Amino acid sequence: MSVGVRYHALDGQSAADPVKVSKTLSPTRGMTGRLLVACCLVWLATGSTRGQTPDDPLTLVTPQDRRPLPTVRFDGRRLVAVSELTTPFGLTITDMRQPGRLTLMREDRIIVLTANEGLVSVAGQLVALASPSLERDGNWYVPIDFIGRALTLVLDEPLELRPRSGLVLLGAVRVPQVVARYQRAGRRSRLRLMITPQTEHVIEQNADRLLITFDADALDLVLRDMRPDALVADIRAMDGSPILAVELRDGFGSFSATTEPALGGAVELVIDLQPRPVSTTRAAPSPTPPAGSRGGAGSGPLAGPGTEPAALVPEETVGDAMRPLLAELAPPRRIRAIAIDAGHGGDDVGTRGPDGALEKDVTLAVAQRLRNRIESELGLRVVLTRTSDTAVSLDERAAIANNDRADLFISLHTNASVREAAIGAEVFYLSFAEYGEEAREAGFTGQLVPIVGGGSRVLDIVPWEMAQLRHVNHSARWAQVVADELGQRVPMSPRGLQQAPFRVLVGANMPAVVVELGFISNPDQEAQLTSATFQSAIVSGLLQGLIRYRDEVERETLPLDARSPDGSGRIP
Amino acid sequence: MKRDYWIYGGMGVVALVGIWVLFVGLPRWYPSEGVPTPTNVASGKTTDNELVAATLFYISDDGMGLVGFERRLVQHADPAVQGRIILEAQLAEPPASLLSPIPPGTELRAFYLSDQDAFVDLSAEVTLGHSGGSLEELFTVYAIVNAVTTNIPAINAVQILVDGKEVDTLVGHVDLQHPLELNMQWAADPDIDATQSRPIDQIDQL
Repeated sequence: MSVGVRYHALDGQSAADPVKVSKTLSPTRGMTGRLLVACCLVWLATGSTRGQTPDDPLTLVTPQDRRPLPTVRFDGRRLVAVSELTTPFGLTITDMRQPGRLTLMREDRIIVLTANEGLVSVAGQLVALASPSLERDGNWYVPIDFIGRALTLVLDEPLELRPRSGLVLLGAVRVPQVVARYQRAGRRSRLRLMITPQTEHVIEQNADRLLITFDADALDLVLRDMRPDALVADIRAMDGSPILAVELRDGFGSFSATTEPALGGAVELVIDLQPRPVSTTRAAPSPTPPAGSRGGAGSGPLAGPGTEPAALVPEETVGDAMRPLLAELAPPRRIRAIAIDAGHGGDDVGTRGPDGALEKDVTLAVAQRLRNRIESELGLRVVLTRTSDTAVSLDERAAIANNDRADLFISLHTNASVREAAIGAEVFYLSFAEYGEEAREAGFTGQLVPIVGGGSRVLDIVPWEMAQLRHVNHSARWAQVVADELGQRVPMSPRGLQQAPFRVLVGANMPAVVVELGFISNPDQEAQLTSATFQSAIVSGLLQGLIRYRDEVERETLPLDARSPDGSGRIP
Repeated sequence: MKRDYWIYGGMGVVALVGIWVLFVGLPRWYPSEGVPTPTNVASGKTTDNELVAATLFYISDDGMGLVGFERRLVQHADPAVQGRIILEAQLAEPPASLLSPIPPGTELRAFYLSDQDAFVDLSAEVTLGHSGGSLEELFTVYAIVNAVTTNIPAINAVQILVDGKEVDTLVGHVDLQHPLELNMQWAADPDIDATQSRPIDQIDQL
């Protein structure tokens, strides 16, 4: 009301003295009016989008085409406008009359959105979203997980949201996930591509690019650890095609590639990038290294099945550039001894069951049963890191295995959860991803040391915490087999096979795994874990896993014996 | 006189708009790239003491993963202060129906930054009160690591200390001798971006 009264007063003044008004007010009034209009426009423009910022669009991939799906951010939450979803997903807005509520329909299935609510009704069921739906200026927005959680329930065709890569897959499209890691070691580099699921691909060099073309509709690329170096400037997915492009630099000389099956139906493509040879008169390769040091015959990266057509490495590049990564220095070796680590002990009781069973007792009992079976049935030498209720530090356990020249290391534990329902065995092998690039590179350092009689040689001085790095591929293979065999005998957790940065594994200079036998925090599992029957079933699984892995290893050629005097493959 | 009021009023409005543009609009439209900004940088808010959404981590219903949970926390432009705010919320009582992966009584002794690494110094209760088990230990460690790295992009990795000292592990499993990077493997659904895709049943204000 006060506004209306004020306007009336102004009108009255204008009518009473129009000449005066025109002489004295018109210029200022016009300017002020324009300013006010401008201010209002600015306010409206900013106010209407307050808290909203444009964001990278999602990409909708269908068998027919790819198209962007715009997104915005409201207060940090990534949202998509409902109007952007109607056409591609065949949605119809049927009811906007109820304030704060929007009804969408796809055929006979109904979605009801409520403003500022994180729950949405989809075909009669409630679905929780990551953040509330929003209504702004008549437009409706939903969090992007609406696509994966709600829309999938009303569509007949497959629909998948991959938030990490920003892809929305609609229909029968083939979009493998490619996790790329780029590693450097000395002058050479390595590109590891974990491709899930296994997908046919072709590698070709095109001028200053390496192009990896996948038999797919698009790529879901996750790029890790990429830092440009003298060989590679960039790695990226080419827009609109299932091609991964590696942008090469002048220092690049050649490449070689191998593939190996990986867990979960994946395949790992490893591309080794060699530098351009400086000249054919470069310094001669280092003196023949001792067993386990870098270099050596037969250590080239192309060996093994799955080798793909690739440019051959010129002879003159042999030297620093051809030194294998540490992981290549651990070929399979014959299994003669196994170290069994009964977790915890002494004052460190580990976890405790609801009826008082202690982890340290269960692990020791299973370790002793396993030792007896291995010695009697396989005739292998067994090393126990503890044989009684004594405390042994984590690093000391790995040191015992190393010093006793064990070929495999298995650490036994029982699990616990604050959720009593959690049950099942789990198998772990070491993850190095958490240690960061700097720590990983530390595993590749070499050191020139003098030798008796003059001269010097390069030795790999392997930091304690990187000893497992060179065995991690074999650890993964063994862990997979153990998980398979355990799964046939005892309940497995949904997380049956995993990688984790476990301290007891880092110093083990042989394939090594941690086995969590079950959840002692669950009353039923506590009873099982303390029973002879269940322990025997576990031991049978571990034993069979050991036999399968040993057989696999012994079927493979052991070039190590030809290069390592003691046949152990140890780093001196 | 009335026309003077009209002129002064207009100029006042212009001045207010100018101040808003200078101190709120421009920083929002052109955020500084050199200054690490805390959680939800996309909102463009750099003013201290505003409330912003931060993702904290708790144990899922089946005990097999961590779930993210958004809470409203005070925003601070200094990552060291912001980190402390986030961790104190992570160590506080969990929301109803959720369980904390961190033993009760655990206190934050210190939080400081070195380059892009954060150091989180916890009281001894984090080990003394721990129920043990590798999975629980992983959840404890990565609830802390992920809470910091998810919400403060300027921080790359987190090293956990106990009573001011480096430790090998909390209870015998997870290697804490290095700063650890964000790892969503322990999330209940690791394919979902923790910053935006966790179910939110309620928004709390601390």
